[in-house]
Amino acid sequence: MSGSDQETEAQQVCRVLSEAGLVEIRVDEFAERIREVKRVVVVRLHELLGFETGIKERESAASSLGTLKGLELKVLENTPKPPDPSET
Amino acid sequence: MQSAAKVQNNEANWPPEEGEIISFKSSTGLETVILKEVRWGLVWRDFILEDGRVIPEHRISGCPQPPVWRNIDEVSDYEREDCEERLLAMAEARLDPRTRDQPFWAELNQYLAFTYLRFKQTGRNLQDTGR
Repeated sequence: MSGSDQETEAQQVCRVLSEAGLVEIRVDEFAERIREVKRVVVVRLHELLGFETGIKERESAASSLGTLKGLELKVLENTPKPPDPSET
Repeated sequence: MQSAAKVQNNEANWPPEEGEIISFKSSTGLETVILKEVRWGLVWRDFILEDGRVIPEHRISGCPQPPVWRNIDEVSDYEREDCEERLLAMAEARLDPRTRDQPFWAELNQYLAFTYLRFKQTGRNLQDTGR
């Protein structure tokens, strides 16, 4: 691979976040993006449970998961409800 | 197309200073505004405008490409926990992250990007943990 083809670390991070839709989250996609990040944390936490080391990262992942769950609940709670068709 | 010298000059003068006039892409088109403050978030710099809006650096005209972002390892536990507390407080206060360019929208966006990068599976993570 030539130098010009090589992706720098900064470009790689930009690409990874863009592909995940996390550089600029669309206003109607927050709940979905929170769920996706939660899924990534759960997968990592599951892996960490298989190691005897990495206790700090495990605790940190569990804490982040708790924060994400709290944020997801609040975001969903504050989502305007669609009109009830039975009321029309 | 900008010359190499011009680009280098832009990058040397980046980021703009408080009080400078900057342009950015908003939902209504290109806006020109006065910059109040530049602040690092967990991943990228946010530009705080005089009217309180928070614009990510990569949306500001003249931002170097690719933008300079933080290495996630630079973010301390204290800084992350502080951010988590602020986010939960804003959610408790029933602020809506769907109000674009407002502090909750900006901070939640960065927190999700940071958390994703931090835990997204890579070979390096596994090796580090196995040590």
